[in-house]
Amino acid sequence: MERAEPMERAGRSPAWALFVGPYGIYLLVFLVLPFANVALLSVYLHSPTKIAVAEFTGANYAKLWEAYYFTLFLRTLRLSLIVTVLCAVLGLPLAYLLARSTSGIKTLGLFLLIMPLMVSTVIRVFGWVVILGNEGLVNQALRLLGAEEGLRLLYTEGAVVLGLSQQSLPFMVLPIMAAIERISPSLEEAAQNLGASWGQMFARVILPLSMPGLVSGALLVFSVSMSAFITPALMGGRKGRMVGQQIYEEVLTAYNWPGAASLTIILSALMLTLVGLALWTTRRRARLEMAR
Amino acid sequence: MPGARVKLAVQGLTKRFSPQVTVGPLSFEVMDGEFFSLLGPSGCGKTTTLRCIGGFETLSEGTILLDGQRLDDRPPHRRDVGLVFQSYALFPHLTVFDNIGFGLRLRKVDKAEIARRVRQMLELVDLPDVAERYPAQLSGGQQQRVAIARSLVLEPSLLLFDEPLSNLDFKLRIQMRYELRDLQRRLGTTAVYVTHDQTEALALSDRIAVLSQGRIEQLGPPGDIYERPASAFVADFIGSSNLVKARVRGPGGGADTAVETEHGMVLTIPHVADAAGTPVTLLLRPERFQMTAGNDGDPRAEPVANRTVANRFTARVRDVTYLGEDLHLRVVAAEQQPLLVSIKNSKGTRAITSGAAIALVIDPEDIHVLRR
Repeated sequence: MERAEPMERAGRSPAWALFVGPYGIYLLVFLVLPFANVALLSVYLHSPTKIAVAEFTGANYAKLWEAYYFTLFLRTLRLSLIVTVLCAVLGLPLAYLLARSTSGIKTLGLFLLIMPLMVSTVIRVFGWVVILGNEGLVNQALRLLGAEEGLRLLYTEGAVVLGLSQQSLPFMVLPIMAAIERISPSLEEAAQNLGASWGQMFARVILPLSMPGLVSGALLVFSVSMSAFITPALMGGRKGRMVGQQIYEEVLTAYNWPGAASLTIILSALMLTLVGLALWTTRRRARLEMAR
Repeated sequence: MPGARVKLAVQGLTKRFSPQVTVGPLSFEVMDGEFFSLLGPSGCGKTTTLRCIGGFETLSEGTILLDGQRLDDRPPHRRDVGLVFQSYALFPHLTVFDNIGFGLRLRKVDKAEIARRVRQMLELVDLPDVAERYPAQLSGGQQQRVAIARSLVLEPSLLLFDEPLSNLDFKLRIQMRYELRDLQRRLGTTAVYVTHDQTEALALSDRIAVLSQGRIEQLGPPGDIYERPASAFVADFIGSSNLVKARVRGPGGGADTAVETEHGMVLTIPHVADAAGTPVTLLLRPERFQMTAGNDGDPRAEPVANRTVANRFTARVRDVTYLGEDLHLRVVAAEQQPLLVSIKNSKGTRAITSGAAIALVIDPEDIHVLRR
């Protein structure tokens, strides 16, 4: 309600167009138009020689009902959800700690948290290969401890989850931290004063009040994971294959652009539906809570 | 009325934040049913003391006993001590009903009983119709009442207030002050109240501990604190005051003693045993001065007893601050001595303007001698 008024005012003034204009044009040229092109490609006929023929067909979508693609989508969805939950579980305490620490420690913590994002994905994944590979650090350590056989850690779903979680954790922690920073410490004390143990306080005060941050974080992590392709490609092998990698290969290896386009459209639709659903339910809850 | 049983005993409470910043050692006892205030400027340690009692700070030294039982080694959620915050600290995601029921729910009280007790509390704080609202939909005063209800519903053995009225506007603050005192008297709950507002402390408390730099400067009922401050700090902090340096001159009229201020004004004060030449500090409350017309026909000169003739003097008005009920005059007495004088606004005082000469009188009994 409070925000509606300035928005309306901005709608009438030319300043609005000035602020949004440049990015709007950018989005139009580099997102909307290419995406429309992808949508168009997805209903074109695939041709092994000409890549795509301007002849409409539903074949690209029909093919996605094959068990292979079905499994692929299911795995992508499943792994992304696992990564999201894992990041939430790991990220919530971390976010709380950072939000409540003194500025010096907070700065250091944020730096450490964001550092992985400053390293290229390829290099970061290579680090994991060194650790998890058949002759990697973990297996070497196990052998030293007397294990006969090394563990197969790399090229598993677990490896993909690990890699994606590391990459996504900052996206979870930052919005939750921002939400917790807005919760007055006196609320924590009030809860404890009223008889809540620290755990009860966290569950009844911090958790519900950091929900907006948690939802934003979850949506970010989920989206990043759903569309990931380098990490699954390098750490997942065949067992950890995800849709993003499939699209990449359809485009660059198989030259089946219409196939890649249909995969893209379905992946995007899936993500938009889930993100929309999450936003709708949380917004509705927030409205019920605040506007009554 | 406060009972004779000690409810809360704070013994040698010390909290060291750093070698330079230390609160305490503080010792005081709060009686059963008493309204006890910790009063002082910011940084005097009053909030730290309260937070130690609530369990949100750990003591560096000392003990706190509630009903004779050690309190300071218990975690904050097992203290049976209610705390009302300056910021109210209501849970924004819960309705008023759920805010007040928060503690009962944690104690696994059954639903019907929670509903009954929450309704009863809302009646008590005069807010029967807001149960389903969220804190953001309430005014500051309403939020404060909900916060009080939320603490009271648990029937704590001790209620702590951390400057609960300082976020309210003036009128509401006065009104809430009355309500708070009524509520506390009616329920007989022992209360420890932290404030920097001396009027609030005087109005509410059975006893006040005035704190300065982590120490108790004076502990006593409001009347003592105001009339007989133990130190210049207390005198200055409570109410506006004239603190005047003076030296004992010798016996005055009757049993009284005469003193001379550093600006050469001679005053008669109640008898002190000090030898002539001893330095003393005098406290002259601005409202204790009375105006006399100077000529004998003025009726306002009449109530002043004979012996106060010694403390009758003429002063030149430097400026007048018009406060409605009162006028505050800054005057210079006896050519040199600056004084702050407060007089009731009335028909006769309208003529007073800066530069005017007025005749003033102060009863020697109204002059308090400070030892430190």
